Amino acid sequence: MSIEHHAIRLESLAKSYGKVTALAGVDLDVREGELLTLVGPSGSGKSTILRLIAGLERPDGGRIVVNGQDVAALPPHRRAVAMVFQDYALYPHLTVRSNLLFGLRVRRVRRGEADQRAQQAAERLGIADLLDRYPDQMSGGQRQRVALARAVLRDPRVYLFDEPMASLDAPLRFATRADLLALHRELGTATIYVTHDQAEAMTLGDRVAVLHGGQVRQVGRPQEVYDRPADTFVAGFLGSPPMNLVPGGGVLAGTAGVTLGVRPEDLALDADGPLEATVEAVEALGSEAIVLTRCADGTRLAVRTGPRPGVRPGDRVRLRPDPSRIHRFEADNGRRR
Amino acid sequence: MKTGRARRPLTAWAFLAPYAVAVVLLIAVPALLNVGYAFTDHTGLTRDPQFVGLANIRRLLSDGFLLDSLQASLFHVALAVPVRLLAAVGLGLLLAAPRPGGRLFRAAVYLPTVIPDVALAVLFLWVLNPMYGPLNQLLGLFGHPGYTWLADPTTARIGVVLMLAFPIGEGFIVVLAARRLLDGRLYEAAALEGCGPFGQLRRLTLPLLAPVLVLLAVRDTILTLQVNFVPAYVLTDGRPANATLYLPVYIFDQVFEFSGFAYGSLITIMLMAVTAVIIALQLLMVRRWRVLR
Repeated sequence: MSIEHHAIRLESLAKSYGKVTALAGVDLDVREGELLTLVGPSGSGKSTILRLIAGLERPDGGRIVVNGQDVAALPPHRRAVAMVFQDYALYPHLTVRSNLLFGLRVRRVRRGEADQRAQQAAERLGIADLLDRYPDQMSGGQRQRVALARAVLRDPRVYLFDEPMASLDAPLRFATRADLLALHRELGTATIYVTHDQAEAMTLGDRVAVLHGGQVRQVGRPQEVYDRPADTFVAGFLGSPPMNLVPGGGVLAGTAGVTLGVRPEDLALDADGPLEATVEAVEALGSEAIVLTRCADGTRLAVRTGPRPGVRPGDRVRLRPDPSRIHRFEADNGRRR
Repeated sequence: MKTGRARRPLTAWAFLAPYAVAVVLLIAVPALLNVGYAFTDHTGLTRDPQFVGLANIRRLLSDGFLLDSLQASLFHVALAVPVRLLAAVGLGLLLAAPRPGGRLFRAAVYLPTVIPDVALAVLFLWVLNPMYGPLNQLLGLFGHPGYTWLADPTTARIGVVLMLAFPIGEGFIVVLAARRLLDGRLYEAAALEGCGPFGQLRRLTLPLLAPVLVLLAVRDTILTLQVNFVPAYVLTDGRPANATLYLPVYIFDQVFEFSGFAYGSLITIMLMAVTAVIIALQLLMVRRWRVLR
């Protein structure tokens, strides 16, 4: 695919802080209009990628191409990117209106035009009635909308979201997710969305990139990444509970040099199943249940079942894995075979 | 439960008592006595001061020395407070960020505050010496003939302000701490919107520090009207031509040199009133300019 189709392209991007390597050669691209989620545990380098793209920090090596232009040498405001921070970074001494006008004033947009654009952005995000409030007079959700409106006013080629929902409570997060997707569709602008919440990464992203140890482990459509994880890290990171990984194959009858994996939903309680195990615990989640079992050789296997599985801790059960959904990984480097 | 609740305020008062007793005995009672003495003929030496009505106030209104003194104090406060604030805020903001050698510079800025006033004043006798003082020598490098600092009314006043521009450690520390509390992300957000260092200073740092700056200005006004006593006594003794006869100096002279305890008391009340008026004006300005939310 030629460079013109990419809103952002990162080429062997590297960054260290002293002796700590934050990014070890990251290659990544985001297509026009695409929403890419970056997911990974803390310290995996997700936020560093955003900060490098935004120009808040300088890379040690590699290229950052935004709209076909290498922006690595440009100051933040000339990169055509807008960033929404985790805690929104609203100016606490300014009203919502002044917060929205801040950038326009800095860029010396004419007063009448600036007011009009701020008003439009506020209406688009549904905060037009909050314009005279101060940030500390608003809820987390309202503050987030102000931060979004501020980003929209930049009219950027790329949006960068740094865990914007981390400080919202669960129900609000669910509603906001839908709003955010609607806004993204409406704007049609390339977006990178950083999160450590795998559910958010899966549901929001056109594609999801899984990061670990400063490297991209896998990029792809969420279902694709879930169905065919590129390595044992991705297999263990996406999915809750994570994939059952059995080094050496063990009870899953593998060969030496491999790690076999099977997702909890690909294991079934079956009286005629080939695996024998003892139930250790049952987690009833209402709509489903997770049965935690232990085989004779000590291998632990989690099984996802329907609600009310009818087994109790101590029961001996038999399990049947779906043979077509057993994942094979190299034992030494964890890569998919 | 009930007794515990009833006891709690008592415990609190018990802990406060030592301080409260001291405040009452050492500050409140003398201050009230001071108001009383202001309307007597007390010399500070006699045992039974007599009430003299408004005689002291009449004297106050026709006292040419007092006018000089008031003028000196107002000149001083008008110059010293901005200079000291500017130095404290400027250095505080410059040295707030961690950078190599920062500790050394921060210690250097605070150091003059640790030096006793009298020692600093003696040092400034040398600094301001027209013959061999380093200040005139420095001016000489730029081809300036220098000043007879403490012999000329205006330069004497400036000399005192100059000396007091160094012990600014307390304001400096407050600014340093306040600046470090500001959220770094605000500056990143501003940088993304194209706001440069000066824009950030004007649009973020100063407005966000405004409450602290107002506090420092008020505090420095009170302080500055009083701490010029030592430099004036050591450097100029109120001279030349009463140029540095600041209110505290004049009060001291009246009370302890001229045995005018009662009259001195009245002037302290005036000093307090002057301080209050200046602070009121400052706060009015703060409101007018909407410095605070």
